[in-house]
Amino acid sequence: MSSGGPTPAGTPQVKSLNCPSCGAALTVRSFSHAVTVVCDNCHSILDAQDPTLKVLQKFHAATDEDPPLIPLGTRGTIRGNPYDVIGFQRRTIHVDGDPYSWHEYLLFNPFKGFRYLTEYNGHWNDVSVLRSLPLTSPGASTLNYLGETYKHFQTATAQTSYVLGEFPWRVRVGESAEVSDYVSPPRVISSEKTGKEVTWSMGEYITGRDLWVAFKLAGAPPTPIGVYENQPSPLGADVKLVWSIIATFLVLLVALLVACYSMESDEQVFDQSYSLDTSVKKEASFVTDIFELKGRTSDVELTTTAHVDNNWIYLNYALINEDTGHAYDFGREVSYYHGYDEDGSWSEGSTTDTVTVPSVPPGHYYLRVEPESQYYRGTIYYSIALKRDVPQVSFFGLGVLALLVPAGLITWRSINFEHLRWAESDYGDGDGSDDSAGDSDDDDPDRPIDLGISDEEDK
Amino acid sequence: MIRNSFLIYGLAVLSAVSLAEYRGWSLNRVDEVPNVPKSVRDNPGSYRSVYGYYHHYTGGK
Repeated sequence: MSSGGPTPAGTPQVKSLNCPSCGAALTVRSFSHAVTVVCDNCHSILDAQDPTLKVLQKFHAATDEDPPLIPLGTRGTIRGNPYDVIGFQRRTIHVDGDPYSWHEYLLFNPFKGFRYLTEYNGHWNDVSVLRSLPLTSPGASTLNYLGETYKHFQTATAQTSYVLGEFPWRVRVGESAEVSDYVSPPRVISSEKTGKEVTWSMGEYITGRDLWVAFKLAGAPPTPIGVYENQPSPLGADVKLVWSIIATFLVLLVALLVACYSMESDEQVFDQSYSLDTSVKKEASFVTDIFELKGRTSDVELTTTAHVDNNWIYLNYALINEDTGHAYDFGREVSYYHGYDEDGSWSEGSTTDTVTVPSVPPGHYYLRVEPESQYYRGTIYYSIALKRDVPQVSFFGLGVLALLVPAGLITWRSINFEHLRWAESDYGDGDGSDDSAGDSDDDDPDRPIDLGISDEEDK
Repeated sequence: MIRNSFLIYGLAVLSAVSLAEYRGWSLNRVDEVPNVPKSVRDNPGSYRSVYGYYHHYTGGK
């Protein structure tokens, strides 16, 4: 047996003992703070303050049943202070009859005291006991601590199902406590109620990667599964920022639209009326007079208005540059139908059609027009109007869409993240009750877990 | 990071809309035909439009 005092750094000072049950060597790192120590060979829970190391409880478990991811005795640095991992326990709750277990690592620094690390599905929390009580109201689903509001997440009865190492309290496998969690990511405040005693603690989410660095552990931490109750949303803080940026650009887009309407010439360069006699089968194509398109390369908007009544007219257009011979070829149909049936009156189509010819350089142009329609439907009167440098609202619409879509996606991802978070709570979909409200024996949170324990203290 | 990304993205959208307006782009499809002979003005029927064999919709319910 050897003993030593605490050292602030370097190799942890330990006290070595032997298990009175199996004779295996025991290590006590928290000295007089240790109340119970667990033999990791025979799983006897021993009274560390009894000179004979009285056996308090034995539980049956394979030695490697639940090995700690951070081995006992490992020293790491948390918030600038060295801590030794001295205890490890697994705690289990039942929700709808299904067990959910998490792990708690007890850390000790002789000058700073105890703190905990909790791990569930690869999610880690750095936990310390609160020095002051949070403000609570009876029946309220929130609490307040240091001006921050925490929302109730879950209340469940947790049973200790596996222990290793030493603890500053009389740890027992099978002991239960009512645990309530209140979250304000990345923090969580937990209350543990055992009998009339309530302990409040605060946890702060910490990544496994940071812990692996802090404890100089080999390999990689387990990959987190799902979304944890106080896991900070990777996008939560960004949503407001993104929307403020998007709102700014939307305002700029509207300003640009106004500027375009005020600056673009929107000049009418051609307007002429024609007719198509459908009773005469002859070459119908014709060319217009030459007109000038001024200014820079810009769009040309062609509007066809035809007096069609349950009829159609199709026009093959060619906007031809008289100087270069370059033509813009396109066809447009104007059709309008209407009538009555058992559903009432109906109509489809329109007597007007507008098309925008893109990026037309300045120059002298004429239109080659070739109208077509059904034969023997009388004379169709139509007009053709051309405007130069017309603002295109469609691009502003696309611009708005281009701005809104990524912002919407980020918002959706953020909402989905919160949905996944709260799905695991007492308020989640399909599980609006906490596990203490179970009706069946299977759901009874107070049902002891079959841990194969034998209490030696009563013997 | 995301702030800069969205600032750049927003500027890109604004620039694209500005350029589209300035250059007179359009979402309409128009075929361009080079070197149309000047004789088309005298004989419009000699020009063959690429849309000349359009299948017409006759409408009606």
